[in-house]
Amino acid sequence: MNLDTLLSYEWGHMAPEFIILAVAALLSLLDLFLPKSYNRRSLAWIALVGILVAVVSLIGLLDSKSVSILHDTFRLDSFGKAFKLILLIGAACVILLAESYEPKEGLKEYRGEFYYLFLTGLLGAMVMTSSGDLITLFVGLELLSISSYILAGMRKKNPGSNEAAMKYVINGGISTAITLFGMSYLYGLSGTTNLKEMSGAMSAQAANGQFLYLYGLAFFMVLIGLSFKLASAPFHMWAPDVYQGSPTPVTAFLSVVSKTAGFVILLRIILTLFLTMPGDDTQKLSFLETHSIYISCLAGISIIAGNVIALRQRNIKRMFAYSSIAHAGYILVAISALGYFTFDAVWFYLLAYLLMNLGAFAVIQLITDSSHSEDIADFAGLYRRSPLLAAGFAVFILSLAGIPGTAGFIGKLNIFMNALMTDPGHFVLASIMIAGTVISYFYYFGIMTQMFFRPAASTEKIKVPAGIGAVVVLALAGTILFGVAPNTALDFLHNNFGSFNDFLK
Amino acid sequence: MMENAWIIPLFPLISFLLLLLLGKRLKESSAYIGIAFTLFSLLFSLLVLWERFTSPTYKIGTEWLKIGDLSITAGMEVNQLNALMLVIVSLVSFLVHMYSKGYMQGEERFSVFYAYLGLFTFAMLGLVLSPNLLQLYVFWELVGLGSFLLIGFYFYKEEAKQAAKKAFIMTRIGDVGLFIGMILLFWETGSFEYDAIFKAAAEGSISEGMITLTAIFIFIGAMGKSGQFPLHTWLPDAMEGPTPVSALIHAATMVAAGVYLVAAMFPLFSESSTALLIVAATGAFTAIFAASIGLVQTDIKRVLAYSTVSQLGYMMLALGTAGYVAGVFHLMTHAFFKALLFLAAGSVIHAVHTQNIEEMGGLWKKLKITGPLFLIGTLAISGVPLFSGFFSKDEILVSAWNHGNYILFFLALIAAFFTAFYMFRLFFLVFTGNQKKEAQNVHESPASMTIPMLILGFLAVVSGYVNTPWFGTFLGDWLTKGNHYLEHGHEDSPVWIMLAATLVSLAGITLAYMIYSKRSISRDWLGGEGSMMYNILYNKYYADEFYNLSIVRLTGIISVFFSYIDRFIVEGLVNGVTGTVQKLGKIGSRMQTGQVQQYGTIAFFGLAVLLIIFALTGGIFE
Amino acid sequence: MNSVPLSAYLVLALILFCIGLYGALTKRNAVIVLISIELMLNAVNINLVAFSKLGPAPSISGQIFSLFTITVAAAEAAVGLAILMSLYNRRKTVNVDEMDQLKH
Repeated sequence: MNLDTLLSYEWGHMAPEFIILAVAALLSLLDLFLPKSYNRRSLAWIALVGILVAVVSLIGLLDSKSVSILHDTFRLDSFGKAFKLILLIGAACVILLAESYEPKEGLKEYRGEFYYLFLTGLLGAMVMTSSGDLITLFVGLELLSISSYILAGMRKKNPGSNEAAMKYVINGGISTAITLFGMSYLYGLSGTTNLKEMSGAMSAQAANGQFLYLYGLAFFMVLIGLSFKLASAPFHMWAPDVYQGSPTPVTAFLSVVSKTAGFVILLRIILTLFLTMPGDDTQKLSFLETHSIYISCLAGISIIAGNVIALRQRNIKRMFAYSSIAHAGYILVAISALGYFTFDAVWFYLLAYLLMNLGAFAVIQLITDSSHSEDIADFAGLYRRSPLLAAGFAVFILSLAGIPGTAGFIGKLNIFMNALMTDPGHFVLASIMIAGTVISYFYYFGIMTQMFFRPAASTEKIKVPAGIGAVVVLALAGTILFGVAPNTALDFLHNNFGSFNDFLK
Repeated sequence: MMENAWIIPLFPLISFLLLLLLGKRLKESSAYIGIAFTLFSLLFSLLVLWERFTSPTYKIGTEWLKIGDLSITAGMEVNQLNALMLVIVSLVSFLVHMYSKGYMQGEERFSVFYAYLGLFTFAMLGLVLSPNLLQLYVFWELVGLGSFLLIGFYFYKEEAKQAAKKAFIMTRIGDVGLFIGMILLFWETGSFEYDAIFKAAAEGSISEGMITLTAIFIFIGAMGKSGQFPLHTWLPDAMEGPTPVSALIHAATMVAAGVYLVAAMFPLFSESSTALLIVAATGAFTAIFAASIGLVQTDIKRVLAYSTVSQLGYMMLALGTAGYVAGVFHLMTHAFFKALLFLAAGSVIHAVHTQNIEEMGGLWKKLKITGPLFLIGTLAISGVPLFSGFFSKDEILVSAWNHGNYILFFLALIAAFFTAFYMFRLFFLVFTGNQKKEAQNVHESPASMTIPMLILGFLAVVSGYVNTPWFGTFLGDWLTKGNHYLEHGHEDSPVWIMLAATLVSLAGITLAYMIYSKRSISRDWLGGEGSMMYNILYNKYYADEFYNLSIVRLTGIISVFFSYIDRFIVEGLVNGVTGTVQKLGKIGSRMQTGQVQQYGTIAFFGLAVLLIIFALTGGIFE
Repeated sequence: MNSVPLSAYLVLALILFCIGLYGALTKRNAVIVLISIELMLNAVNINLVAFSKLGPAPSISGQIFSLFTITVAAAEAAVGLAILMSLYNRRKTVNVDEMDQLKH
């Protein structure tokens, strides 16, 4: 490869990634050279501006056709663009939360790292959305994971945070090894790391039962490895501990950005590779169709486990960890019931989840920071202390519970329809989803009862910092807008990304 | 005007938003905002109804959500049924807004109360205007949310908190049924629109079994909201809310939503005789079940609550026996007289500060306006001739008889007897007899409370005359005109049914009079007069005793039995399910030991199990 | 020249992977746990390199992949040890089973 070929690539298509990379590098340098006494809080605004510029450059790329550069390792197709948008919006909100984050013992000189590690994590997630090669997928995944490990342990003086980070490293390491083991077989059998070539090789080899079996094993290893990232049961057990121990903005990051990235890589790998590979000797159905029952099982177990265990939680962050496990289950329902609008359903749900969950975490961060405790009882009488904040939080909770009029309802409805419209319909899964939703009302409305129907422990008014206020307002607007007029989001999706038909090309 | 009907629900919404923002500053003058905006709603509703008398159904819709190539619309529809409902809802809401100004005076969260009322009214009006099931479902949930806030308004009372939670969750169980039914219908017909669904059902493009199944699921939704057995338990508990709320929720709006749903979906139900039978049987059973429990209650609002459940059962019975007009007619008259009764009860409570009827008595002379109005309401609900309830109840009995289901007919007749009995028991205990100690310093309520009652009292008398066998069936003709899914034959109504209904209600009243009024009068005589009187009275007492032994004891046993069913089987089932879920949660939570290596091990086992299943089923060993 | 069949490498890698997994799930000392995870990742490297030379469709990209894996594994181990250090500073223990403050 010479300089000419290097220059001939359309690097402009990586502009959002480059911007994030540059800002992360800039922040790390600034953090290094700025005097110790300098308040690094202002670095958050630089990070935010960087993300917004990346959003703008991504929007500028919306019209461009699907391109791939660097030997097809980096693909900018509509799938990548659509999910990158979610990741960027999510990360922008998380940075706003991080700006206002003020733990008991303070963040002190680590505050700079705090911000640029979010950016490197985001960069990893973005690379994953656009990669067409196992190697880039893996590197993106690890960039995100390692950044998250450090972020989880950011409160170095806090035993909970240390423990969360350690648990995350151990479980994450194991899951990485399992994923990689599966990937090594995928590579070994097909002889290439490029997803598209691999898919062709796999379809050709699948007539041989031996190969089919080994590919099947690889499929499970990759699926399970990635299930750690999604925190779907029974691979979810790290999640509650890590969510509870991590600093709140990091919890928000894990539950939104990291989870979205997990779904993205899952879709990339299993759809590219296993949707075209025949599932058995008859060659009628694809591997994914014949084996979707496994994903259905994971989805069902996640919904039940997440919702049922959440009932017993007193710690608000832990409760949201379980609720996020259940939500991962809902999204897996859409993936297992693969139909015409699976992409739409997943995308919309992730968008809705991003808005409602980040909004909720903004309020959670505010309350837990001011009361130095994470008990649900801290929300008692929130309505008295700050009616608008309580109303906002109520909307987020209603949306998470899937009450009509909110984005969460539309998201669930989409997934539900998707599950029933496929042939054969996934009735069992759909009923598990309904049952899970009903169970979730109990704990969601437990919080509501606390907020509205309990006297407040303190009557102190709550001061809302600008960053948190911005996130709450943005999330509130989005949750209600997409709940009342969901077509605004879906039309945007269809107009700009078509039906993702360039995904496999 | 009809094309602008969408503005009707917006008024209460604006009121809600205004009060949310300005409530703290406005304090008690918040009431004026709420009253003014609901008045606008009422006026517009009346205009819409007026116009609907002459013009055809109006419908409008735009695409709201696109899933794949399916498109779901949102819009509104004004037909006879919902034009009528609009007026009922906005009228009762308006009167309740007015009444609350007096009733809630001095309440710390006065403006919050009005804000909630606005939200609730908005949701209910929106529900009524919906042209399709999905939109209806959205507002249906919103109604549930509004009721949650209103019932739990006195949140510092533990019972109120529990009641709010119970109401929300119980109705949610029904909502899940509605949701499933709705999705199944969508799956079958590809549309949520009423018209499309009815067309498909009438054309036979949905199988008979599917129609029955979906109709039953939808009915489960209606059962939850309308408090039909066994999902009725939330309704009496919901009396923990402020009394005006009870009037709003339990007379005209939320509980009527279930009946409205069945009425709106009536063309679907009428395609399946099984579904109709289930509706009718549930309704009849609920009617007699709740009425018998009502016999022994001592809380004035709980008596009314059970009577509401029972009357809703009547409406369901009417719909289930193909008496569409009868059901809607009773929905209307019931809205007026039950709202009247609740408001009057509120006025009584306001005066004596207790809800226990044993502690009341002799209020007739003190409450010069409330007393007669309460009597009007009682006469109406008891089905005494010339009052509104008489005509609608008669219509229901005729419908049950003509449908040929005589068991249900007699159940309904017995329930009518019970109704008359316990309502007059309530009346006599509260308004006649001795004044009790608690009721010394009673005074009539302010005008803001009595005027709404007067209006309702007027309606409770006259609203029956829109559909009578004597002066013509305007309501029935109008409701069914131009709607080819509903046929409204002028069925001949045997005169003896009307006589029987009258007889039964008079018997109930007489019995109540002898037990609860006569006896207390006789006690006065006992002190003043000699032994001769005593003897006469003694004999009379025998008569009472006879009644007591034979009928009252029997009904007492039945009602105790039903209360037990209520407490142990229904609640037991609910507790059993929640208990299992809780236990599962406990197990799951226990597994989370904090040992990271255990997490890894469990995950490894998950992987191993998946791989083993894969190896055994789809693998190389085949 | 080449007498060792592919399957031998694959079995070796599998055994190594299982040893690593066993160690990661049973050892008390967090350092050993991290080393065990490294073993699992190295098992993958053996797979990749063996496939790249002897696989059904040999190609160079497997070796490139393994270079990335080695680098990333090193980064992961470094981060893991750093986190363990700060944990040790607070709790004075490296035993994994004593890290159970967050539970239920």
